[in-house]
Amino acid sequence: MYAKKACELVKEFSSSEPGQLAPFNTNLFSQVIEECNFHFHQLQSLLSKIQEGPDSQTKNADHFGALIHHLSLVRNKRCLMAYVHNRAEVIRSLGWMIEPPLPEEIQEKLSSSEKEYSKNQSATIKSYQSEMDLDLAVDMVPPKDPYIKVRVLDDIGSVALSDQIANLARHAILFLRRTDAETYISQGLMEELTD
Amino acid sequence: MESGSGEGSMMDDYESLISTTDAELLKRSWRNEKAAPEILQFELSLVQRSTEQIQLMEETVEESMASGVDPLTVSLYQMDLDRTQFLLRSYIRIRLQKIEKYMAHIHKTTELWNRLSKQEQKYAQRCIEDLKEHFEKSVLSKLPDRYKSSLKQSVISEEDDMVPEPQLDTYVICRAKRSLGAFQLDDSAEENPVSLDAGDPYAIRYKSIKSLVYSGQIDLV
Repeated sequence: MYAKKACELVKEFSSSEPGQLAPFNTNLFSQVIEECNFHFHQLQSLLSKIQEGPDSQTKNADHFGALIHHLSLVRNKRCLMAYVHNRAEVIRSLGWMIEPPLPEEIQEKLSSSEKEYSKNQSATIKSYQSEMDLDLAVDMVPPKDPYIKVRVLDDIGSVALSDQIANLARHAILFLRRTDAETYISQGLMEELTD
Repeated sequence: MESGSGEGSMMDDYESLISTTDAELLKRSWRNEKAAPEILQFELSLVQRSTEQIQLMEETVEESMASGVDPLTVSLYQMDLDRTQFLLRSYIRIRLQKIEKYMAHIHKTTELWNRLSKQEQKYAQRCIEDLKEHFEKSVLSKLPDRYKSSLKQSVISEEDDMVPEPQLDTYVICRAKRSLGAFQLDDSAEENPVSLDAGDPYAIRYKSIKSLVYSGQIDLV
Protein backbone atom coordinates (compact mmCIF):
# COMPACT_ATOMS: atom_id res chain seq x y z
CA MET A 1 0.00 0.00 0.00
CA TYR A 2 1.24 3.48 -0.81
CA ALA A 3 2.28 5.80 2.00
CA LYS A 4 2.29 3.01 4.54
CA LYS A 5 5.90 3.60 5.52
CA ALA A 6 5.28 7.29 6.04
CA CYS A 7 2.43 6.38 8.31
CA GLU A 8 4.74 4.11 10.33
CA LEU A 9 7.16 6.98 10.71
CA VAL A 10 4.52 9.25 12.17
CA LYS A 11 3.18 6.48 14.38
CA GLU A 12 6.65 5.88 15.72
CA PHE A 13 6.83 9.49 16.83
CA SER A 14 3.37 9.62 18.33
CA SER A 15 3.88 6.43 20.31
CA SER A 16 7.02 7.74 21.95
CA GLU A 17 6.83 9.35 25.34
CA PRO A 18 5.70 12.99 25.05
CA GLY A 19 8.62 15.38 25.35
CA GLN A 20 11.17 12.65 24.69
CA LEU A 21 12.98 11.65 21.56
CA ALA A 22 13.59 8.30 19.95
CA PRO A 23 16.65 8.01 17.70
CA PHE A 24 16.08 9.59 14.31
CA ASN A 25 14.88 6.80 12.03
CA THR A 26 17.22 7.43 9.11
CA ASN A 27 16.46 4.15 7.45
CA LEU A 28 12.70 4.46 7.31
CA PHE A 29 13.00 8.14 6.55
CA SER A 30 15.08 7.59 3.42
CA GLN A 31 12.76 4.81 2.32
CA VAL A 32 9.87 7.26 2.38
CA ILE A 33 11.92 9.78 0.41
CA GLU A 34 12.62 7.07 -2.16
CA GLU A 35 8.93 6.35 -2.35
CA CYS A 36 8.29 10.02 -3.03
CA ASN A 37 10.66 9.95 -5.97
CA PHE A 38 9.05 6.76 -7.24
CA HIS A 39 5.63 8.45 -7.17
CA PHE A 40 7.05 11.43 -8.96
CA HIS A 41 8.45 9.34 -11.80
CA GLN A 42 5.20 7.49 -12.18
CA LEU A 43 3.34 10.75 -12.14
CA GLN A 44 5.55 12.26 -14.80
CA SER A 45 5.37 9.31 -17.13
CA LEU A 46 1.58 9.25 -16.84
CA LEU A 47 1.37 12.99 -17.44
CA SER A 48 3.53 12.83 -20.55
CA LYS A 49 1.45 9.91 -21.76
CA ILE A 50 -1.69 12.00 -21.36
CA GLN A 51 -0.11 14.91 -23.15
CA GLU A 52 1.14 12.87 -26.06
CA GLY A 53 -2.31 12.06 -27.23
CA PRO A 54 -5.54 10.91 -25.76
CA ASP A 55 -5.76 7.18 -25.72
CA SER A 56 -9.47 6.76 -25.29
CA GLN A 57 -9.16 3.34 -23.73
CA THR A 58 -6.91 4.20 -20.82
CA LYS A 59 -7.69 7.90 -20.57
CA ASN A 60 -9.58 7.75 -17.31
CA ALA A 61 -7.24 5.20 -15.79
CA ASP A 62 -4.25 7.41 -16.57
CA HIS A 63 -5.89 10.46 -15.08
CA PHE A 64 -6.82 8.75 -11.87
CA GLY A 65 -3.48 7.02 -11.69
CA ALA A 66 -1.73 10.36 -11.94
CA LEU A 67 -3.95 11.79 -9.28
CA ILE A 68 -3.26 8.91 -6.92
CA HIS A 69 0.47 9.28 -7.37
CA HIS A 70 0.21 12.99 -6.71
CA LEU A 71 -1.88 12.50 -3.59
CA SER A 72 0.41 9.77 -2.27
CA LEU A 73 3.36 12.05 -2.77
CA VAL A 74 1.68 14.89 -0.94
CA ARG A 75 0.69 12.58 1.87
CA ASN A 76 4.21 11.28 2.17
CA LYS A 77 5.50 14.81 2.28
CA ARG A 78 3.06 15.73 5.03
CA CYS A 79 4.16 12.73 7.07
CA LEU A 80 7.85 13.52 6.61
CA MET A 81 7.29 17.13 7.54
CA ALA A 82 5.16 16.15 10.53
CA TYR A 83 7.93 13.85 11.73
CA VAL A 84 10.61 16.51 11.40
CA HIS A 85 8.39 19.30 12.67
CA ASN A 86 7.29 17.50 15.80
CA ARG A 87 10.80 16.41 16.59
CA ALA A 88 11.93 19.99 16.11
CA GLU A 89 9.31 21.03 18.64
CA VAL A 90 10.68 18.59 21.21
CA ILE A 91 14.21 19.78 20.50
CA ARG A 92 13.12 23.35 21.10
CA SER A 93 11.46 22.48 24.38
CA LEU A 94 14.63 20.68 25.47
CA GLY A 95 16.58 23.77 24.52
CA TRP A 96 14.47 25.75 26.97
CA MET A 97 14.93 23.27 29.80
CA ILE A 98 18.56 22.27 29.47
CA GLU A 99 21.52 24.54 29.29
CA PRO A 100 23.24 24.03 25.89
CA PRO A 101 24.90 21.97 24.63
CA LEU A 102 22.53 19.04 24.90
CA PRO A 103 23.98 16.02 26.73
CA GLU A 104 25.60 13.22 24.77
CA GLU A 105 22.75 10.75 25.19
CA ILE A 106 20.33 13.14 23.51
CA GLN A 107 22.80 14.28 20.85
CA GLU A 108 23.22 10.78 19.51
CA LYS A 109 19.50 10.49 18.85
CA LEU A 110 19.48 13.50 16.57
CA SER A 111 20.14 13.66 12.85
CA SER A 112 22.95 15.96 11.76
CA SER A 113 20.51 18.61 10.64
CA GLU A 114 18.70 18.40 13.96
CA LYS A 115 21.96 18.93 15.84
CA GLU A 116 22.57 22.00 13.75
CA TYR A 117 19.03 23.18 14.39
CA SER A 118 19.34 22.75 18.13
CA LYS A 119 22.55 24.78 18.09
CA ASN A 120 21.01 27.55 16.02
CA GLN A 121 17.96 27.62 18.22
CA SER A 122 19.90 28.14 21.43
CA ALA A 123 21.97 30.82 19.70
CA THR A 124 18.73 32.56 18.76
CA ILE A 125 17.52 32.47 22.35
CA LYS A 126 20.90 33.75 23.50
CA SER A 127 20.86 36.70 21.16
CA TYR A 128 17.38 37.67 22.32
CA GLN A 129 18.50 37.47 25.93
CA SER A 130 21.53 39.63 25.41
CA GLU A 131 19.45 42.16 23.52
CA MET A 132 16.93 42.35 26.34
CA ASP A 133 19.64 41.96 28.98
CA LEU A 134 17.54 39.32 30.68
CA ASP A 135 18.45 35.79 31.69
CA LEU A 136 15.54 33.54 30.74
CA ALA A 137 17.08 30.30 31.93
CA VAL A 138 16.40 30.97 35.58
CA ASP A 139 13.09 31.23 37.43
CA MET A 140 11.54 28.31 35.64
CA VAL A 141 9.03 27.65 38.42
CA PRO A 142 7.14 30.17 40.52
CA PRO A 143 9.28 31.02 43.54
CA LYS A 144 8.00 30.07 46.97
CA ASP A 145 11.09 30.83 48.97
CA PRO A 146 14.21 32.78 48.10
CA TYR A 147 16.29 29.88 49.40
CA ILE A 148 16.08 26.24 48.40
CA LYS A 149 17.70 23.07 49.63
CA VAL A 150 19.91 21.41 47.07
CA ARG A 151 22.21 18.45 46.83
CA VAL A 152 25.42 18.90 44.88
CA LEU A 153 25.93 16.09 42.36
CA ASP A 154 29.47 16.80 41.27
CA ASP A 155 32.63 18.34 42.64
CA ILE A 156 32.31 21.96 41.63
CA GLY A 157 34.73 23.45 44.12
CA SER A 158 34.67 26.81 45.81
CA VAL A 159 32.38 29.28 44.10
CA ALA A 160 31.50 32.85 44.88
CA LEU A 161 27.70 33.03 44.92
CA SER A 162 25.71 36.21 45.12
CA ASP A 163 25.60 36.19 48.92
CA GLN A 164 28.34 33.83 50.07
CA ILE A 165 31.35 31.83 49.05
CA ALA A 166 30.41 28.20 49.17
CA ASN A 167 32.36 25.02 48.81
CA LEU A 168 30.29 22.92 46.45
CA ALA A 169 31.61 19.44 47.09
CA ARG A 170 29.88 16.36 45.79
CA HIS A 171 26.95 15.13 47.95
CA ALA A 172 26.95 18.29 50.03
CA ILE A 173 23.47 19.47 51.00
CA LEU A 174 23.16 23.22 51.13
CA PHE A 175 20.73 26.07 51.41
CA LEU A 176 21.32 28.34 48.44
CA ARG A 177 19.71 31.33 46.88
CA ARG A 178 17.31 29.90 44.32
CA THR A 179 18.69 32.10 41.55
CA ASP A 180 22.21 30.83 42.24
CA ALA A 181 21.20 27.21 42.34
CA GLU A 182 19.06 27.21 39.18
CA THR A 183 22.02 27.60 36.86
CA TYR A 184 23.64 24.51 38.36
CA ILE A 185 20.37 22.57 38.32
CA SER A 186 19.84 23.17 34.60
CA GLN A 187 23.41 21.97 33.98
CA GLY A 188 22.65 18.82 35.91
CA LEU A 189 25.22 19.56 38.61
CA MET A 190 22.72 19.91 41.42
CA GLU A 191 19.30 18.65 42.32
CA GLU A 192 16.63 20.32 44.36
CA LEU A 193 15.51 18.52 47.47
CA THR A 194 11.86 18.77 48.26
CA ASP A 195 10.36 17.60 51.49
CA MET B 1 -27.66 50.23 54.58
CA GLU B 2 -25.82 53.46 54.16
CA SER B 3 -22.70 52.36 55.91
CA GLY B 4 -22.83 49.14 53.92
CA SER B 5 -22.87 50.92 50.60
CA GLY B 6 -20.16 53.30 51.78
CA GLU B 7 -17.94 50.38 52.67
CA GLY B 8 -18.67 48.85 49.27
CA SER B 9 -17.45 51.89 47.41
CA MET B 10 -14.40 52.08 49.60
CA MET B 11 -13.68 48.47 48.81
CA ASP B 12 -14.14 49.27 45.14
CA ASP B 13 -11.70 52.15 45.39
CA TYR B 14 -9.22 49.96 47.14
CA GLU B 15 -9.58 47.19 44.61
CA SER B 16 -9.32 49.46 41.61
CA LEU B 17 -6.24 51.01 43.15
CA ILE B 18 -4.67 47.62 43.76
CA SER B 19 -5.58 46.38 40.31
CA THR B 20 -3.74 49.24 38.61
CA THR B 21 -0.37 48.68 40.23
CA ASP B 22 2.26 47.41 37.87
CA ALA B 23 2.68 44.19 39.80
CA GLU B 24 -1.00 43.44 39.35
CA LEU B 25 -0.98 44.50 35.70
CA LEU B 26 1.99 42.29 35.01
CA LYS B 27 0.31 39.38 36.74
CA ARG B 28 -2.80 39.92 34.63
CA SER B 29 -0.88 40.15 31.36
CA TRP B 30 1.05 37.04 32.29
CA ARG B 31 -2.14 35.11 33.07
CA ASN B 32 -3.85 36.26 29.90
CA GLU B 33 -0.86 35.38 27.80
CA LYS B 34 -0.62 31.99 29.45
CA ALA B 35 -4.26 31.11 28.86
CA ALA B 36 -4.84 32.63 25.42
CA PRO B 37 -4.25 30.29 22.49
CA GLU B 38 -2.93 33.11 20.28
CA ILE B 39 -0.28 35.71 20.89
CA LEU B 40 -1.50 38.96 22.49
CA GLN B 41 -0.24 42.51 22.22
CA PHE B 42 3.21 42.96 23.78
CA GLU B 43 2.97 45.18 26.87
CA LEU B 44 5.92 47.37 26.02
CA SER B 45 5.62 50.14 28.59
CA LEU B 46 4.60 47.71 31.32
CA VAL B 47 7.66 45.57 30.68
CA GLN B 48 9.89 48.62 30.69
CA ARG B 49 8.41 49.87 33.95
CA SER B 50 8.75 46.44 35.54
CA THR B 51 12.36 46.18 34.46
CA GLU B 52 13.10 49.52 36.07
CA GLN B 53 11.20 48.47 39.15
CA ILE B 54 13.29 45.32 39.41
CA GLN B 55 16.52 47.30 39.21
CA LEU B 56 15.30 49.64 41.89
CA MET B 57 14.33 46.75 44.13
CA GLU B 58 17.67 45.07 43.60
CA GLU B 59 19.43 48.23 44.71
CA THR B 60 17.19 48.53 47.74
CA VAL B 61 17.91 44.96 48.77
CA GLU B 62 21.64 45.42 48.39
CA GLU B 63 21.62 48.66 50.32
CA SER B 64 19.56 47.19 53.11
CA MET B 65 21.86 44.20 53.34
CA ALA B 66 24.90 46.42 53.51
CA SER B 67 23.45 48.72 56.12
CA GLY B 68 22.40 45.84 58.35
CA VAL B 69 18.62 46.14 58.22
CA ASP B 70 16.71 43.31 59.87
CA PRO B 71 17.34 40.19 57.74
CA LEU B 72 13.65 39.30 57.82
CA THR B 73 12.71 42.58 56.17
CA VAL B 74 15.40 42.09 53.58
CA SER B 75 14.22 38.60 52.79
CA LEU B 76 10.68 39.90 52.34
CA TYR B 77 11.99 42.43 49.85
CA GLN B 78 13.96 39.69 48.20
CA MET B 79 10.88 37.52 47.89
CA ASP B 80 8.91 40.32 46.32
CA LEU B 81 11.76 40.88 43.91
CA ASP B 82 11.95 37.20 43.05
CA ARG B 83 8.26 37.07 42.30
CA THR B 84 8.33 40.06 40.01
CA GLN B 85 11.33 38.66 38.19
CA PHE B 86 9.63 35.34 37.76
CA LEU B 87 6.51 36.99 36.33
CA LEU B 88 8.51 39.03 33.86
CA ARG B 89 10.67 36.15 32.72
CA SER B 90 7.81 33.74 32.50
CA TYR B 91 5.76 36.28 30.53
CA ILE B 92 8.54 36.64 28.00
CA ARG B 93 9.22 32.92 27.85
CA ILE B 94 5.57 32.11 27.17
CA ARG B 95 5.52 34.63 24.36
CA LEU B 96 8.71 33.34 22.77
CA GLN B 97 7.47 29.78 22.93
CA LYS B 98 4.20 30.81 21.32
CA ILE B 99 6.14 32.58 18.60
CA GLU B 100 8.18 29.43 18.02
CA LYS B 101 5.06 27.36 17.72
CA TYR B 102 3.16 29.53 15.26
CA MET B 103 6.03 31.43 13.66
CA ALA B 104 4.91 31.09 10.05
CA HIS B 105 1.33 31.98 10.86
CA ILE B 106 2.32 35.02 12.91
CA HIS B 107 4.77 36.12 10.26
CA LYS B 108 2.26 36.21 7.44
CA THR B 109 -0.60 37.74 9.47
CA THR B 110 0.10 41.46 9.74
CA GLU B 111 -2.18 41.94 12.70
CA LEU B 112 -0.34 39.30 14.73
CA TRP B 113 3.08 40.42 13.54
CA ASN B 114 2.43 43.92 14.83
CA ARG B 115 1.71 42.57 18.30
CA LEU B 116 5.34 41.55 18.72
CA SER B 117 8.03 43.75 20.16
CA LYS B 118 10.99 44.68 17.97
CA GLN B 119 13.17 42.08 19.61
CA GLU B 120 10.48 39.46 19.30
CA GLN B 121 10.14 40.16 15.60
CA LYS B 122 13.84 39.65 15.21
CA TYR B 123 13.58 36.48 17.24
CA ALA B 124 10.72 35.20 15.09
CA GLN B 125 12.67 35.98 11.95
CA ARG B 126 15.64 33.98 13.14
CA CYS B 127 13.41 31.11 14.27
CA ILE B 128 11.84 30.96 10.85
CA GLU B 129 15.22 30.90 9.16
CA ASP B 130 16.52 28.21 11.50
CA LEU B 131 13.55 25.96 10.97
CA LYS B 132 13.48 26.55 7.26
CA GLU B 133 17.09 25.56 6.94
CA HIS B 134 16.42 22.47 9.00
CA PHE B 135 13.43 21.52 6.82
CA GLU B 136 15.40 22.10 3.65
CA LYS B 137 18.24 19.90 4.77
CA SER B 138 16.17 17.08 6.18
CA VAL B 139 13.24 16.83 3.80
CA LEU B 140 12.56 19.41 1.17
CA SER B 141 15.82 19.28 -0.75
CA LYS B 142 15.27 15.56 -1.25
CA LEU B 143 11.79 15.92 -2.67
CA PRO B 144 10.99 16.42 -6.36
CA ASP B 145 10.49 19.91 -7.79
CA ARG B 146 7.09 21.45 -7.27
CA TYR B 147 6.89 19.81 -3.85
CA LYS B 148 9.70 21.74 -2.21
CA SER B 149 7.77 24.49 -0.44
CA SER B 150 7.64 24.44 3.34
CA LEU B 151 4.35 26.31 3.38
CA LYS B 152 2.46 24.57 0.60
CA GLN B 153 1.94 20.89 0.00
CA SER B 154 2.66 21.30 -3.70
CA VAL B 155 2.63 24.06 -6.32
CA ILE B 156 -1.01 23.25 -7.01
CA SER B 157 -2.10 24.52 -3.60
CA GLU B 158 -3.48 28.01 -3.91
CA GLU B 159 -3.06 28.90 -0.26
CA ASP B 160 -0.44 28.02 2.29
CA ASP B 161 -1.88 24.78 3.56
CA MET B 162 0.95 23.58 5.76
CA VAL B 163 1.11 26.34 8.34
CA PRO B 164 0.15 25.45 11.90
CA GLU B 165 -2.34 27.89 13.39
CA PRO B 166 -3.61 28.28 16.92
CA GLN B 167 -7.00 26.81 17.75
CA LEU B 168 -9.06 29.86 18.50
CA ASP B 169 -12.25 28.00 19.32
CA THR B 170 -10.75 26.23 22.28
CA TYR B 171 -12.42 26.84 25.63
CA VAL B 172 -10.90 29.22 28.14
CA ILE B 173 -11.87 30.09 31.68
CA CYS B 174 -12.47 33.78 32.09
CA ARG B 175 -13.72 36.26 34.59
CA ALA B 176 -15.26 39.66 33.97
CA LYS B 177 -14.16 42.58 36.06
CA ARG B 178 -17.48 44.33 35.78
CA SER B 179 -20.87 43.09 34.73
CA LEU B 180 -20.92 43.23 30.98
CA GLY B 181 -24.59 42.52 30.58
CA ALA B 182 -25.91 40.20 27.92
CA PHE B 183 -23.21 39.20 25.52
CA GLN B 184 -23.77 37.54 22.18
CA LEU B 185 -21.40 34.61 22.03
CA ASP B 186 -22.14 33.37 18.58
CA ASP B 187 -22.23 35.32 15.33
CA SER B 188 -24.97 33.11 14.03
CA ALA B 189 -27.35 34.49 16.68
CA GLU B 190 -28.65 30.99 17.22
CA GLU B 191 -27.64 30.82 20.83
CA ASN B 192 -29.07 33.08 23.47
CA PRO B 193 -26.87 35.88 24.74
CA VAL B 194 -25.07 35.06 27.97
CA SER B 195 -24.98 37.59 30.73
CA LEU B 196 -21.45 38.01 32.06
CA ASP B 197 -21.55 38.99 35.70
CA ALA B 198 -18.64 40.48 37.58
CA GLY B 199 -16.37 38.01 39.30
CA ASP B 200 -18.07 34.84 38.09
CA PRO B 201 -15.94 32.38 36.19
CA TYR B 202 -17.16 31.23 32.79
CA ALA B 203 -15.90 28.63 30.36
CA ILE B 204 -16.35 30.11 26.90
CA ARG B 205 -14.81 29.60 23.51
CA TYR B 206 -11.86 31.95 23.17
CA LYS B 207 -12.98 33.09 19.73
CA SER B 208 -16.19 34.64 21.02
CA ILE B 209 -14.64 36.69 23.81
CA LYS B 210 -11.30 37.63 22.32
CA SER B 211 -12.35 41.22 21.68
CA LEU B 212 -13.13 41.55 25.40
CA VAL B 213 -9.66 40.23 26.22
CA TYR B 214 -8.06 42.77 23.88
CA SER B 215 -9.95 45.64 25.50
CA GLY B 216 -9.14 44.39 28.99
CA GLN B 217 -12.76 43.99 30.05
CA ILE B 218 -12.31 40.33 30.80
CA ASP B 219 -9.43 38.36 32.31
CA LEU B 220 -8.40 34.85 31.46
CA VAL B 221 -7.68 32.56 34.35
